[in-house]
Amino acid sequence: MTTSPAGAALPRSLTARRLWLHQARLPLSYVAAVAVSLGFVFPFVVMLTTAFKPADEVFTLPPSLLPETWRVENFSDAFASMPFWRYLSNSLIVAGGAVLGTVLASPLVAYSLSKIAWRGRGPLTFLVLATMMLPPQVTMIPIFLIWDRLGLTGTYLPLIVPAFFGTPFFIFLMRQFFLTLPNDLLDAARIDGASEWRIYRSIMLPLAKPAVATIALFQFLWSWTDFLNPLIYLNDQDAYTLSLGLYRFFSDHGVDWGPLMAASALFTAPALVIFLIGQRYFVEGIATQGFK
Amino acid sequence: MGDAPRSAAGGSSRQRLEPPAVPAARPTTRPGQRRARRRRLRLGLAFASPWILGFGVFIVAPIALSAYYSFTDFNIFQQPAWVGTDNFTTMFRDDRFWHAAYNTVYLTVVGVPLSLFLALVIAMVLNLPIRGQPVYRAIVYLPSIVPMVVAVYVWRWLLNAQYGYVNDVLRRVGLPQPLWLDDPAWTKPAILVIGFWMVGGTSIIYLAALKNVPKELYEAATIDGAGFFAKFRHVTWPTISPITLFQVVMGVIGSLQIFAQPYLLAQKGFNSAVGGPADSMLTLGTYIFQNAFAQFRMGYASAIAWVLFLVTMAIAAVILVSSRRWVHYDD
Amino acid sequence: MSASVPSRWLRIGVLVGAATLALAACSGSPTPGEPSSSGTTGAETTPSEATGQPTEITFSYLWSGVEAESLEKIIAEFNASQDAIVVKGVSNPDTTAQLTAMSSSEGPFDISDHFGASVGAYASKGILAPLDEFIEADGYDLSDFIPSVLDQMSYDGHYYSMPIAVHTQMLMYNNTLLAEAGLSGPPETTEEWADYIAELTKVDTDGRITQLGYGNVEIDTDFTTLGFVFGGNWYDEAGNPTPDDPGNVDGLQFYVDNVPAKYGASAVTTFQSGFGELASAQNPFYTGQLATIIEGAWEINLINQYAPDLDYGVAPLPYPSDHPELAGTTSVSSSTLFIPANSQHKQEAWEFMKYLLANDAMGEFTHATSNLPARMSLAGDPIYEDLGDAFGVWLDSLSSPNVRAMASAPAAAQYGEDRALAFEAIANQTTTPSDGLANLAETVKQYG
Repeated sequence: MTTSPAGAALPRSLTARRLWLHQARLPLSYVAAVAVSLGFVFPFVVMLTTAFKPADEVFTLPPSLLPETWRVENFSDAFASMPFWRYLSNSLIVAGGAVLGTVLASPLVAYSLSKIAWRGRGPLTFLVLATMMLPPQVTMIPIFLIWDRLGLTGTYLPLIVPAFFGTPFFIFLMRQFFLTLPNDLLDAARIDGASEWRIYRSIMLPLAKPAVATIALFQFLWSWTDFLNPLIYLNDQDAYTLSLGLYRFFSDHGVDWGPLMAASALFTAPALVIFLIGQRYFVEGIATQGFK
Repeated sequence: MGDAPRSAAGGSSRQRLEPPAVPAARPTTRPGQRRARRRRLRLGLAFASPWILGFGVFIVAPIALSAYYSFTDFNIFQQPAWVGTDNFTTMFRDDRFWHAAYNTVYLTVVGVPLSLFLALVIAMVLNLPIRGQPVYRAIVYLPSIVPMVVAVYVWRWLLNAQYGYVNDVLRRVGLPQPLWLDDPAWTKPAILVIGFWMVGGTSIIYLAALKNVPKELYEAATIDGAGFFAKFRHVTWPTISPITLFQVVMGVIGSLQIFAQPYLLAQKGFNSAVGGPADSMLTLGTYIFQNAFAQFRMGYASAIAWVLFLVTMAIAAVILVSSRRWVHYDD
Repeated sequence: MSASVPSRWLRIGVLVGAATLALAACSGSPTPGEPSSSGTTGAETTPSEATGQPTEITFSYLWSGVEAESLEKIIAEFNASQDAIVVKGVSNPDTTAQLTAMSSSEGPFDISDHFGASVGAYASKGILAPLDEFIEADGYDLSDFIPSVLDQMSYDGHYYSMPIAVHTQMLMYNNTLLAEAGLSGPPETTEEWADYIAELTKVDTDGRITQLGYGNVEIDTDFTTLGFVFGGNWYDEAGNPTPDDPGNVDGLQFYVDNVPAKYGASAVTTFQSGFGELASAQNPFYTGQLATIIEGAWEINLINQYAPDLDYGVAPLPYPSDHPELAGTTSVSSSTLFIPANSQHKQEAWEFMKYLLANDAMGEFTHATSNLPARMSLAGDPIYEDLGDAFGVWLDSLSSPNVRAMASAPAAAQYGEDRALAFEAIANQTTTPSDGLANLAETVKQYG
């Protein structure tokens, strides 16, 4: 408690200010949190309200927030002018395939880097980490040409197969997770003569379910939102994923803001659904699991 | 910010970096040890084989090929023709290349620190003891999982100079309203704004890190009479510095290869290859793409990609080396 | 935790994985006959199947919306008229995607369209299939095509493209807005036009533009045309770029003096950034935001679709009063059909191309889209009568002595990109027309 040589008046106002701050802390915290949330939510609100506006309300000044007439046809127009369900299922195929590859391969490699004491482990870990820094543009052209020579551009294989070889980021995440698991069970199983594969399958993987779920979710999102790779490899519009589908919608309709926002809302909806389903893993999984 | 994801790895005090070795359950005679070591070597390689194979096929071979192509004039329909260092001399004289490099570096140097700062501030707000935290966290996180295409088109509308809401708000508070997407001076800030909106993932990671700071340290600091800023400087910042390092490195790498935001933001009628007003949105990522897939100059594009690669490695190395000064690992 | 749980999931996972991979390998190209799903190799064309199975080819085109619908009708007619070839039409108004598609060794489309000025650029990259062998094999008669347009179709002595439609630029004006300003009839000289622009531009009390006397809807077409209007040329006789030709400078100076210099570049850009989509009811000319524009004949069709009540007029472009010999200047461009070098069905694509270029199909398509036909014999065809007198104005412009074209040089694409940057800087008043075009002249010296 500070005292002032000036006498009793100053400490009282200082205390008063401190008291006010302390009391205001809670409402101020709410204000801050709400302000931040509003900033992040606002674009979604605009997207939705514009999606329901007829064209003449979109192109008016000053911009109004809510539509006066709610035009649902923007959505049906969006549905009619593009094969939304096909794009959705295409995205699901690509994302699903990549998730499968990731879930199979990345923990496998991570196990090697964390639970098997072998000579090459250190250098290999370093190599995996170093690969994370590789800009995709360096390998993009030769990889495209390889797929082209194989005649597989235009299919989904270039988008899915790389996941089956492990992704450095997920390998690293799994490695960090495995490192936090004690080795007692492993050692006991090894003494009992169990094969390493059995140990991996029956002991490590079940224990690692949360982390595996996390990398599965991340890979899903990665593939779901990927734009560059589908742009390069997918030429047939029927094979487009959602990202390319919306991109094509813009090419077709340009600055037709109402239908464009409606299409954008449609394309956001699956991400929202996935988020609601996997929320547990998103917000808590990445934060806590990776740390333990 | 960038296309790379965030990671939760970091230097929490509870993380062990070196696992104990597999205990020797076999007799410690030297042939036995050698056998055991060889067995572990085989196992290690076996489990890591998918990645090792992928490394060869998707990384080593392409890098070597890309290095070769960068010395050739390569139009995909004809055989690559060796031109030596021509691509690099052309690059040196190519205004658009330097422009793209400047734009890319600008986005990185300005964008990464600002995003991290914003992420940290938001994490601290989310860390306040209020009810309904999951809701706020979800709202902050949601934009970062929205497909980039959606985010860009929504912000194109928000940043429209004539009808956009951002300028409307700015006008109401009396601030000048820049032509976000038409003024070369404001297009990069527009790209950054979109990145800031998607900072939720980083924020959540920081939030977890903040929650991991031992409370005793704060209590000790309070007893010592430390105020808010002092506590931040001496307790919070050092503890979260490993995460910051990781985020900085990943953020820089992601930002240097940025592609989707500038490509989509600059998209125009018929989508002829453009780099935005006065090329202000041309980045190395989009320039490489244009050269490779719209101009069929795969040799030149490979050369630029290599330059990007080397610059990325250099910057990452600098950051990692400098990190010794400001990153505190728990002992 | 039982050990059977992981193995069950593993088995399911493997099954799902196998199914996914199988789907992935096939589903990239859902239509049969697509090159990427069959194993056809080699760039040789295959003649129509002797077994009676029609060959499928893909026609990917830049047209969209109502214009695409007209094209689809013609495609359906072609498919119905014979059994050997089935054409699948795909609308893809994306030139970058078009180029990307042409970069794989097996093309996803067999015939596509682009613009005449790009033939040299594309052909020099080797991505277009030469048509000479097809023309000779069929003895195809080229004499009916408009000669100047046909010239653009060749590069290095070979034909790489065929024109289906041609476009000239005319001055379009909004009669209602003109009447409000007390003006009647189109301006004849550029000086008159400048007065018109001043009369027809409205700014509100906040300094925001609410109506522009003249605005560019597509800056490259507008500015290159303005250059021609003032007697300039963007290429010389030898096909070298000449951006700093004095006429070009005058043309751009005309724009700068009458629009951004008077009302503020920033205000103009803001106004333009709020324009709606061109092929919609929000086209700034239809909504009265722009009083005069330079546009092509396709507007007749689009206005009928999106703004049937618009009272508009069409007239030849104005000329500088001290150069009456420049009267009737217009820039001509063409929509062209080409076969990509990586097509697997070049012969079938050629058959379809001939069908499109024949009088019937070309007449039907150009009538539906109100484009000018590329064949001279279609010029006076009664099929165009219901398009009104406006169409006649565009049609007549083709016979003016001052028809100018952008050369189809190999560096055309590069020149276009650099022009775009220069034009933007000039329109924003970042630089003056003479400085900007002089810089451009320096840049173009580096073209190979």
